[in-house]
Amino acid sequence: MNKFLVITLLFIEAVTAQTKMTSAEAQVLRTMVKEKAAVTKTILSDFTQYKHLDFLSNDIESNGKLAFQAPDKVLWQYSAPFSYSILFKNEKLYINDNGNKSDLNVGSNKLFKQLNQLITASINGDMFISDEFEIDYFKTDDSSIVHFTPKDTQFSEFIKTFHISFSKTGEVTRVKMIEPSNDYTLIIFHNRIENKAIPDAVFSQ
Amino acid sequence: MRFFLSSIFVILIGCTPYPKKMGYDQSTSTSVEVTNPYFSNVDHDYVYKASILVFDKQFGGILIIKKIAENNHRVVFTTEFGNTIFDFSFEGDGFKVNRILKEMDRKLLLNILEKDFRSLIKEHIPSIDTFKNGNKSLVKTQNRAKKYFYLFESDTLTQIAHIANQKEKVVIKFSKISNNIVDYIQITHNNIKLQIRLTAI
Repeated sequence: MNKFLVITLLFIEAVTAQTKMTSAEAQVLRTMVKEKAAVTKTILSDFTQYKHLDFLSNDIESNGKLAFQAPDKVLWQYSAPFSYSILFKNEKLYINDNGNKSDLNVGSNKLFKQLNQLITASINGDMFISDEFEIDYFKTDDSSIVHFTPKDTQFSEFIKTFHISFSKTGEVTRVKMIEPSNDYTLIIFHNRIENKAIPDAVFSQ
Repeated sequence: MRFFLSSIFVILIGCTPYPKKMGYDQSTSTSVEVTNPYFSNVDHDYVYKASILVFDKQFGGILIIKKIAENNHRVVFTTEFGNTIFDFSFEGDGFKVNRILKEMDRKLLLNILEKDFRSLIKEHIPSIDTFKNGNKSLVKTQNRAKKYFYLFESDTLTQIAHIANQKEKVVIKFSKISNNIVDYIQITHNNIKLQIRLTAI
């Protein structure tokens, strides 16, 4: 291989690489996330979702808003290119599919619940549950990335691994769900607002 | 006697060939094959918001159809979150399940889905007969001993119907069509309570 190419590749690798955290660094991250969660009562955020399938020409992009209220109310509201919302409240799941309301989503309730638990847990700070996930900690220049690989075989058939990225101040900035086929869904959060009172009506369906 | 006559009438109507029942006459010009142009562009990602009504339940997701190569399509159904519910490959007459949610891995359901999607994406179909009614034409085809009628209105394909015993068993309706892109598709099963509605996104 061309020497120049090797050097270039090594350089790119060095700039973009995730390096493994030491156990002390992982402990610092866990503590920071936990402390942040303890004082975060609500979160409002916009999100952009990219569904990547290798055979497609383009990723499928959708947008929406997320509302969270401690301890366990979460509303995902897609607004484009379709109207769809899913609300997790009191251990229940409510769907509003463009005006059609239901509380059932065949086959995926368990997955949604587990996914939601994970998202909620990342806000609560108690997501580092080592009996449910293999957990690996990485860092880049401006973020921490934690890989959660489900130990539950039924769950791992659906999602091979989750990558959750945290900002330097411990906020979840992106979630990547990788399927066994290596196709993935990437959700990027932006315009995050913390601890602003959210009217109860937002979580009613 | 009246009951007997009306029974005979019902039987006769029941036996009337489907095209005739629908008001079509045999045409002298018979095309060699019909073409379904709607999933034929390899450069296009066909993405639909899907709504599935099965018995009295409704659930939704995203249906993705992609032509990979000639006679080769992928059909993938995901949740709105992007998690794959099923992933099928149609290559020639072959059908491969790449992935399916365990709860949905039932032979009966797979058969229905395979037939529905094969009818939806099949591009070139040899024709047997053509029937005319004004600017509408109905082309009879056969696939694996099953009869399908393709309805063209002013040369635009608007419906594919699977006919059994001269009755519509499954009907695929195409509407909001422009430049060979269908913005709304409705697949209705008449023998079971199943309807799939697809809206392009």
